[in-house]
Amino acid sequence: MQYVIETENLTKQYGNTKVVNGINLHVPKGTIYGLLGRNGAGKTTAMKMMLNLVKPTKGNIYLFGENSKENIYKAYSKIGSIIETPGFYTNLTGYENLKIIAKLRGNLPHEKIITTLKSVNLENENGKTFSDYSLGMKQRLGIAAAIMHDPELLILDEPINGLDPIGISLVRSFLLDLKNQGTTILISSHVLSEIEQIADVIGVMNKGTLIEEADIVELRKRKRKYCEFIVSDTNKVKNILNKHLKITDFTIQENTIRIYDFKTPVEEINKTFVKNNVAVTGIRTEEENLEEYFSNLIGGGQIA
Amino acid sequence: MRNLIYCELLKLKKSKMILISILGVLSNPCLIFIEALETHFRHPENVLTLDSMFNNSLMYIMLLTNMIIYVAITAYLFSREYTEHTLKTLLPIPISRTKLLCVKFYTLLLWIIMLTITAWLGVFLLSLTFHLMFHLERFTLIITLKWLICFIFGSMLMFITISPFAYIALKTKGFVIPVISASVIVMGSAALSNQDIGALYPYTATFFLVNGRIFNTGYSVIVAVILILLVSIIGYYLTFSHFIKEDIR
Repeated sequence: MQYVIETENLTKQYGNTKVVNGINLHVPKGTIYGLLGRNGAGKTTAMKMMLNLVKPTKGNIYLFGENSKENIYKAYSKIGSIIETPGFYTNLTGYENLKIIAKLRGNLPHEKIITTLKSVNLENENGKTFSDYSLGMKQRLGIAAAIMHDPELLILDEPINGLDPIGISLVRSFLLDLKNQGTTILISSHVLSEIEQIADVIGVMNKGTLIEEADIVELRKRKRKYCEFIVSDTNKVKNILNKHLKITDFTIQENTIRIYDFKTPVEEINKTFVKNNVAVTGIRTEEENLEEYFSNLIGGGQIA
Repeated sequence: MRNLIYCELLKLKKSKMILISILGVLSNPCLIFIEALETHFRHPENVLTLDSMFNNSLMYIMLLTNMIIYVAITAYLFSREYTEHTLKTLLPIPISRTKLLCVKFYTLLLWIIMLTITAWLGVFLLSLTFHLMFHLERFTLIITLKWLICFIFGSMLMFITISPFAYIALKTKGFVIPVISASVIVMGSAALSNQDIGALYPYTATFFLVNGRIFNTGYSVIVAVILILLVSIIGYYLTFSHFIKEDIR
C-alpha cells in the first residue's frame, strides 16, 4: 500500500514528559484517516511535527515517500493544513488574508481566491475584517486557506470546532468530495461520531501513544457482543459470577452488569441470579458501538 | 523574497500601529517647536538657528522618544505572528524561518526610516513656521538636507542596535517586556547623554557618532563602533538562533 504520511518511532519530549511516544502512523493514499483521542492525547503535537512546526525529539516522518528532513519544500507545497483555531491577521479581510497566502504559495491568481472563498460561502464577507468573523467563519476561512492551492494532502486538526450542525455537515460532505477527487486527508478529532462517518482508517492516540490503527470496516467487525442485566444488587452478582459461574469478562455500571462471555447461556445466568435472591428487572443482548470500543481501548471514560 | 516583502507590507494595511507610530514621532517636532517658542519669549537675546532645532530634535529622537517607539514597532512586528497565531498558517506553506525574519528586519528598517523622515519633515515644517513668524538664523536648504542625511544615518544606527529587542519580543511573545527594557535603556541614555563615558554605551554612542561629539569624548571611535556592532550582532544571533530552533506550540 502507498502511504502519503508514514511516521517511524516519532517522539516528542518536553522535559521528562513524552507528549508523543514512538508513534508509527500510516496514512494510505486517497483515504480519510481519522486520528482520535482525548484532549491532550498528543494528536496536535504529532500533526505539528508532520508540518515542521515542532521538531521531533526522535523518529522520522515520511511525506509522499520521502523523509521530511530531506526534501521539505517540495513535500510541503503539496500539503494544506489547519492546526487548532486558524490564525489570520485580524486587521485584514478574509480576501486579504487569502491574498497573502496566495502570494506566498507562488502568486495564485485572484480568481482562485474568489473561487475558494465561494466554496466555503465567504464570498460576500468582503467588508468584514477577520476580527469581526464568527468562530464558524474563521474555521471556514481556515479551510479555504488549506485547500486554495489544491493540495494532495490535507492535515486538519479539529476542523469542525466551533461549527454549527449545518456547518459540520457541509464540511463533512466537502471533505468527502475532496477525497473523491483524490485528496488524502488526515483529520483529528475528539468527537468520534464525526470521524466515524467519514474516515476510512482510524488511529487512536492515548497519552502520547498510538494504541490502535485499523480500517474502519475491520474495526466495526471487532465490536463485541454483550448481555446486559439490570439487577438489584451488583455486589452479590459479582460474587455469583466469580464463584458460581466462573465468568470474569464483565463490567459493572450502577445497577447494570454487562457480560461479554457467552459460553454460559443467558437463561442459566438469569436462573442463577434468581436462585441467589437477586432480582433481575431487565435483560437484553447488545453489540458495543464504536464509541464504547474506543472508550474501552483508552481505559474507560468518554472519547468525546 | 519580493512576495514576502509585499505580504509583510500588506499585513500592515489598516493597522493602527502605523498611525500611532506616526503620531508618536510627530510629538518630537512639536516639543522642539514649543521649546523654541519658550526660548524666544523668555530669552529673546538667545539666537535660534535651524541647526539647533535639528540638533535638539535628533537628540530626543535618538535617545528618548523614537527609541521607545521603534522598540514598540519592533515588538509589534516580531510578536504579532504569535499573538495572532499566524505562524502555524505561514510556516507550513512552507516559508523559510530565516527568510521570514530577514523580511521582518527589512520591514522594520523601512518603517524606521519612514518615521525618521516623518520626524525630519515635522521639524522642517515647524522650523519654517517659526522662521516665518520670528526668524531663524541660517535657514538654508543645504542645512535642511544635511540634517536629513544625519537623521537617516541616525535611524540606521538605531536600527542596528535594536536587534536585541527583536529577540526579547520573540522570546516573550508580546509588547510589555520589550517596551520596559527600552525604557531602562532610554533612562541610561538620558543619564549618559551629557557624559563622555556615553561613548561606551552603545545607545548613546550612536547619537555621539551622528552629531560628531564622539571625537570630543576622549574615547576611541573604533571602540564605540565595536561596542555598537557587538550589541547588534548578539541581538541578531539570538533572534535567528531562537526562531530557527523554536517549536511553535
